[in-house]
Amino acid sequence: MSDILAAILIALADDELIIGHRHSEWTGFAPHMEEDVAFSSIAQDEIGHASAYYSLASTMVGQTPDQLAFGREPGEYHNAVLCERPNGDWAYTLARHWLYDNADALRLEALERSSRPELALLAAKIRREERWHSLHAELWVKRVAEGSVEGRGKLLHALAEAFAEVRGLFEPFDNEERAIAQGWLTVPSPVLGARFVETTTAALDDLGLPVEIEPGAITTELIASSSGDLIATDEDSASITPAGGGLGGRYGRHSDDFKALWAAMTATYKIEPEATW
Amino acid sequence: MTTERAIWDALEKVKDPEIPAVSVVEMGMIKEVDVRGGRARVVILPTFTGCPAIAVIEQDVREAVGSVTGVEGAEVEMSYDPPWTADRITPKGRRELKAFGLAPPTGNGPVLVTSIGLPKTALCPFCGSSDTRNENPFGPTPCRALYYCSSCRNPFEQFKDV
Ligand SMILES: [Zn+2]
Repeated sequence: MSDILAAILIALADDELIIGHRHSEWTGFAPHMEEDVAFSSIAQDEIGHASAYYSLASTMVGQTPDQLAFGREPGEYHNAVLCERPNGDWAYTLARHWLYDNADALRLEALERSSRPELALLAAKIRREERWHSLHAELWVKRVAEGSVEGRGKLLHALAEAFAEVRGLFEPFDNEERAIAQGWLTVPSPVLGARFVETTTAALDDLGLPVEIEPGAITTELIASSSGDLIATDEDSASITPAGGGLGGRYGRHSDDFKALWAAMTATYKIEPEATW
Repeated sequence: MTTERAIWDALEKVKDPEIPAVSVVEMGMIKEVDVRGGRARVVILPTFTGCPAIAVIEQDVREAVGSVTGVEGAEVEMSYDPPWTADRITPKGRRELKAFGLAPPTGNGPVLVTSIGLPKTALCPFCGSSDTRNENPFGPTPCRALYYCSSCRNPFEQFKDV
């Protein structure tokens, strides 16, 4: 049973590690210096959160956090596809940052009620830190939404693009039903997804950003597979590339963007996997 | 002096390498110290999950505790129960942070106070003025935010609320 929980912790860590890696790519390149500092710091936080989740999982699977973070094959990472997309322009970076941190806030709120005290406590700690990320994302989205026509147009376009893949963040984990039954997870991913659509569309409305969201973007019908997992019905399960809607990541199906990121991210580790720092 | 008291004294000399002016005790990072028959157990509350200094602090704590007379073995644990919060910093710790040039946390967390949503201001650690503005809610370490003092015209950092 503990391997079910470990796999979920690793998927949560993978989201944080991969989005953190993308944020870190702004170090030295952000549009202005304060944002260079901000994205570097947010990246460090996210990778720190990943490290904490990996540490919890590491005792269950007998691997070190470093082995989990850098020693797996691409198909063994279970992050959502949205996290692996390149930063693109500043508008896409902000749109994804805002969507991801809103999604993460809902997820942490649910994890804080986990029946596993070590997970509940970690979620509570991370949630306090994440308020700073949400603040940052809010400030920027608001600033651009109230700014020039050009910037606002770019942000609208980017929000639509990121929103189209946001469903992947709420794709059920492996054996999610059993984790729910144990109380390790307290809210099914599709339910969180529906909550997310409700809160983010209301927030976008308040900002006067009329983002078109495809109906059912989140609440796709999910069916139980033979193993008891919930899977999306509109999937071509034979495919190894992500399906539409940013799905597939939770089952190790990634885009080519991920393969490039993975190669860069694991390069140092592969030179000397047993190195100590 | 009891062994436990001696351990607390030894911990007073352990500093966060990024804030060498304030001990881990004054930072409120030591949850508990427990001694049983020469075996010491210390529980640390990390300030920030992603704090890169935490491994160094853990090692320094282990060494400091291990060197106390009467301690034969030291066990150091990390805990998030309760989560470390800024209000754990002692009054002495707050004075020491300020003397080090780091504004103590306000104790309010990230609060939006104006229409443009900048976080609450901090008191300038150099001149005490409240005529300061937040330049960046992030800084050179996970626990620091950047400010500017309009009164003495110094940039300064604040230990963030979490
Ligand atoms: Zn001043």
